[in-house]
Amino acid sequence: MLRGKTIKLICKTWSALLLLLLSHMAHAVSTIEISVESVDSPVGQLKDAKFHVDLKGKKPKLKLSAAVKPQNEPNFMPFKLSCGTLFSEQVGYIDCFDGQLESEIIQAPFSLHIAKLRDQFSLDVLFNGADFSDAAGLHAGDGLIGDLQLTAKRAGALWQWDGKLSWDQGEVFWQPYYFGDAGNVLEAKGAFTEELIKVEEASLKVKTVGEIKAAAQINTKTKVLEDVKVSAKDVDFNGLYTLVLKPKLERSAFGNLLVSGKANWQFEMQQLQPTSFELNLENANIQDQNGKFSFKQMNAHIPWDYDVPQNISLDYASGFLLDMPLGKTKLNAEVNRYALTAPTLTLPVFNGALNFKEVSAAWLGENWFWHLRMNLTPVDLNQFSKALGWPEMKGQISGEVPLVTYANKQLNMDGAMTFNMFNGKVGMNNLRIDDPLGVVPKLYADLTVRNLDLGELTRTYSFGAIEGQLDGDVKDLVLENWKVVQFDASLETNENEQRKKISQRAVENIASLGGQGTAAALQRTFLRFFDEFNYEKIGISCQLRQDVCNMGGVASTEGGYIIVKGSGIPAVNVNGYTKKVSLSDLIARIKRITDRNTEVIVE
Amino acid sequence: MKKILLSAYLVFAFVLTGLAQAAPNLEINTPAINALKSSMQKRHNQLAPHYQSGAVGLTKNGMIAIRDAKAVPLKHRQGINQLVAAENADRGKLYKEIAVANGHPEWESGIRDSFAGRWIDKAKSGWYFQGKGGWVKK
Repeated sequence: MLRGKTIKLICKTWSALLLLLLSHMAHAVSTIEISVESVDSPVGQLKDAKFHVDLKGKKPKLKLSAAVKPQNEPNFMPFKLSCGTLFSEQVGYIDCFDGQLESEIIQAPFSLHIAKLRDQFSLDVLFNGADFSDAAGLHAGDGLIGDLQLTAKRAGALWQWDGKLSWDQGEVFWQPYYFGDAGNVLEAKGAFTEELIKVEEASLKVKTVGEIKAAAQINTKTKVLEDVKVSAKDVDFNGLYTLVLKPKLERSAFGNLLVSGKANWQFEMQQLQPTSFELNLENANIQDQNGKFSFKQMNAHIPWDYDVPQNISLDYASGFLLDMPLGKTKLNAEVNRYALTAPTLTLPVFNGALNFKEVSAAWLGENWFWHLRMNLTPVDLNQFSKALGWPEMKGQISGEVPLVTYANKQLNMDGAMTFNMFNGKVGMNNLRIDDPLGVVPKLYADLTVRNLDLGELTRTYSFGAIEGQLDGDVKDLVLENWKVVQFDASLETNENEQRKKISQRAVENIASLGGQGTAAALQRTFLRFFDEFNYEKIGISCQLRQDVCNMGGVASTEGGYIIVKGSGIPAVNVNGYTKKVSLSDLIARIKRITDRNTEVIVE
Repeated sequence: MKKILLSAYLVFAFVLTGLAQAAPNLEINTPAINALKSSMQKRHNQLAPHYQSGAVGLTKNGMIAIRDAKAVPLKHRQGINQLVAAENADRGKLYKEIAVANGHPEWESGIRDSFAGRWIDKAKSGWYFQGKGGWVKK
């Protein structure tokens, strides 16, 4: 085996290998080459190992190539390790400077110090620009500069260990968590047997969050985290949300938030099942980046326990949901395993409130199912219409809804909401909203219009005065992304009002809705001398499909329909001739009329 | 003879129905389609670097998929799943809404195929798309 000054050895065990390596380093030998076919240990297997120690010069050098297979991994992974300078002046101590570890999954320049005595082991690795990644890229690090210290002492079959990992530069992604800013320190201690790794006290100091403490038990055979306890006290809510909560909430409505404030968080899991959870927020601000909701100055106490029912409470100073501003609110509910109940929840909106009663919700199959009764403390319609960007209206909205359900992103209301407006009522029935917080919310409803005061209505919109009352139905109303795309509407004056008058200007305006011509014709005749006319009936119907309105009036004529049917002398009829009208054109025309009529003209 | 007549009739019927079915209007607009397009447009700025790096590619069925997660910077590696899932949800809804707006919900899969071709035509050079034998760099 001895050839010149080179020693070549073939070993079968680790200890023989180490002993040979160390004992020969002291001798006047220039090169040692050792081949190891295969070595088994409790933590894994090593095969095809080739050691090459170059003892020429003052600094011995080591090169090692081998394939390693950690326990429970299916395949061997080849790797190369080298030490620019290798010292081992005492048995059990090895120093490796200018080291380099290379394999498919890791590239790591390092320096290390190992001390291995009989029942003690210590390791200190300085890594300087290490990169690692598993095949799928789900666990990866880039440009890591830091330090790993590990000591272990044997007590019978048990090893007590104590470790510290810190990195000053670089980033780590450990699905689903990302540690971007360096300056993070993980300290942990525990015990280790062949079957179990116990992490008794772990502390992860993350620069952007604060300190997260954890304890866990890992089964080395199944690699399953058997028991986990995690807690973070008085940490930055934004850091906690970004690091821990956001990755878990990405597919929910809470997956794209801007948050601030302070948080306390804890979480316990046994046998892969969550057993308890608690999130406390202090003076937090939450804003959905898709613009669907926001809450300001929120305080929340959200405990949860698998076995014991808990009371949750939440309050905020203000906020909004869709375009609806939310007032100061305090909510309390009981959470019992996967069910939530509350006798009442009051959500102040505008100057009124949404009062939810007999609220119950269940978390089933990754979805919430809600079920409640609702009534409305009257809300000022003026504020409501302004907030929704509707034409400004006066009046109140009130209502009593015996059953509201929300399941599979669909909101259903059995019962009516009533809008008291223009001295009459508009009722909304059969309301359904699909995916209210999604990209394409769709609303379905039927409306009934009763006794709307046309005098009040035409004064509000400066349309030209009409006296009378309006009744009608809007069936199968569909809104997509809160824009009207379908309805079957029919509105007509009723017989309640005795004074049925329409002003010259209103006649002109209604006529001009049907296009040019009629209004001008009116101006050319003697009719222009009359300020107002009597009418028998005014009515309009529209079947809307996408943007096309199929128009009708109180009666059909040859080639058209009657919108205003006059009475008495002189009687003015306003007829419509265009059956299919673009709704956006029609709205633009109404807007032009109401805008024009509000202009102040100084003569 | 009957069979021949029947076949001739069937061919004739197919040709007629084929002629009667106008091509779908892929440019049709509804509030739903506009909302989806604008949501996708907003997301495009976030996705564009991932198309360019080859991390994300265009699939045969008008969707997108993660081709190489390692090409995504570590910082965005978690978010990429969500980004791709949200884009695919919007794309699926878009094809459905265009079919419905055309008055033919059953056209959805044809519309999806037309879009799949369009996306690939519109892709910039260097982007990946799914060809017959797997990923192809444009």
